[in-house]
Amino acid sequence: MLELERVSVTFNAETANEVRALRDISLSVPDGQFITVIGSNGAGKSTLFNVISGAVEVDRGHIHLDGQDITYQPEHRRSHDIGRVFQDPRLGTCPGLTIRENLSLAAIHGRQAGLRRDVKQAQEAWFIEQLEQQHLGLEQRLDADVALLSGGQRQAITLVMATLIKPKLLLLDEHTAALDPNAAEQVIALTQAQAQAHDLTVIMITHSMQQACLLGDRVIMMNDGQIVFDFSGEERKNLTPADLIARFHSLDSGAELADRQLLG
Amino acid sequence: MTATTAASETSSEGRFSATRAFLVRGIVLAIVIAGFMSLGNVNIGAIGQGLGYALAGVCVFLTFRVLGFVDLTVDGAFPIGGAVCAVLIVSGVRAEIAILAAFAAGAGTGLATALIDIIFKIEGLLASIIVITAAYTVNLHIMGGRSNIPLLGEETLISRHSKEFRTWLVEQFGDQMRRQSTNLLEIAIFGAIVIIVLILLYLFMRTEIGLAIRASGKNPQMVRATGLNHNVMIAIGLMLANGLAGVAGSMVVQQFGFADVSLGFGLIVRGLAAVIIGEVLMRPRSVGQLLVAATVGMLVFDISRAWIFSALDLPTTDIQFVSALVVLAALGAPRLYDRWKTYRQRHSGGAQ
Repeated sequence: MLELERVSVTFNAETANEVRALRDISLSVPDGQFITVIGSNGAGKSTLFNVISGAVEVDRGHIHLDGQDITYQPEHRRSHDIGRVFQDPRLGTCPGLTIRENLSLAAIHGRQAGLRRDVKQAQEAWFIEQLEQQHLGLEQRLDADVALLSGGQRQAITLVMATLIKPKLLLLDEHTAALDPNAAEQVIALTQAQAQAHDLTVIMITHSMQQACLLGDRVIMMNDGQIVFDFSGEERKNLTPADLIARFHSLDSGAELADRQLLG
Repeated sequence: MTATTAASETSSEGRFSATRAFLVRGIVLAIVIAGFMSLGNVNIGAIGQGLGYALAGVCVFLTFRVLGFVDLTVDGAFPIGGAVCAVLIVSGVRAEIAILAAFAAGAGTGLATALIDIIFKIEGLLASIIVITAAYTVNLHIMGGRSNIPLLGEETLISRHSKEFRTWLVEQFGDQMRRQSTNLLEIAIFGAIVIIVLILLYLFMRTEIGLAIRASGKNPQMVRATGLNHNVMIAIGLMLANGLAGVAGSMVVQQFGFADVSLGFGLIVRGLAAVIIGEVLMRPRSVGQLLVAATVGMLVFDISRAWIFSALDLPTTDIQFVSALVVLAALGAPRLYDRWKTYRQRHSGGAQ
């Protein structure tokens, strides 16, 4: 259970460039829920993620994860409980290291890194098992440098890394936006499979209205640092992309929809 | 997504042949260098000197290629390692212990750079400039206010066995070897030290911490996302790298027979040259190969500099200028070659 309690973030406070990225946001995410988040550029979606993951400090408010106050926990400590996949496929995995080595880094998760050998026999079987579930054939390429893989493959591996040790929360920040349509579709399928298999709590930012309506069981729309719509239950079931676009236009903030949001 | 990517480069057979190719390149290079040295009349002392400095090259490899920034701390860690070693040897401590102390002293300078980076958020290059400036004074204090400590008549790793080795060498190979005995002894002892350190380092690079250090230089965001503190990893990396520079300092001090406060001058440039020369000549691919390449690069650097000296019959006062030229050649040649390749492609109608 993730709870945000009146969280505010202001960048460049008291200067001409002041941006109130998050205004008094409260959000409660029950275990096992899959939320999609939409909103125009600058609505505060990414800041919301950065606040939850610890990359950005809050100015006011509190964040609780499973009853524990994590508001001032450093980013790497929170990562023990929170898995992340970024928009840029290059961020989630480390070039120069093989798939095997990347996965073994992810397997350290929540422990102190020690002087053990990086990959143990038992681990390797576990890695192969995880990769086989993706049906991408990556389990045969454990010794390949991650830099040689395509964006889709790297996102797929990042997804495995983020869920290797079941996280309490999985944050997906437009993780298919930089991929070609085929790869994006595959990664979305993998995301759904992982979420169901591990019964994960997921928050996913997306630019695609289609995706927002297809995936998950709750849709949040953000605008100007606030949550402006929150659809769940029956309301969510009947939601169509057209509804979302209509809601978008009803916002009087002058937020512009990008073409790809309308099309996608 | 998968169909287009054949797993050609990943099979264990592929890895084996890559290692073999690397070894073959190494052997060919060794033969070329040996021929070069005998034809150019280069003294084998250059090899001993290269081995003495080799770990400083490894230090620069670790910071420049693994941690991903130019860390000048090596310029301070090296003479401090040398100073600590010299002071301890003069006060009667065994050379082995003195070398370990030099490692600790070098690691201390690395830690200083890391702390400035972490606490003040001053980027590594700048942080290391601050550290080497301060290190100069620290160094003078370690040496008791003197700028030079001679090791004449003290027991160093080299002098400890030099008499017995010379006698043995002359008995075995005749009197003409007498002149080379110190050089050969240096090569044997330093060679052993460098090989042991490289093996330990290679094993370390394959542990979880080693892996995390490698990832911290390439993708700190990802390291944090996997729940590891990338600052700690960078700090460990800097301590290890500069500890090795300290060891190199202690080796060179024992080789020269004195410690000097200006011993680290221009070392970063020399280290960069070693890394680049090694990469150009050996084309390393794995971590182990990269470590070997940095060492070989340092050897090639010293040998080619010695050759330039003997070929042009230069006085020792010109040494830094020649060093700069060798570094320029090492850094510049690959770039010029690339430009020449694009130029040629453009002027051959764009076709390959």
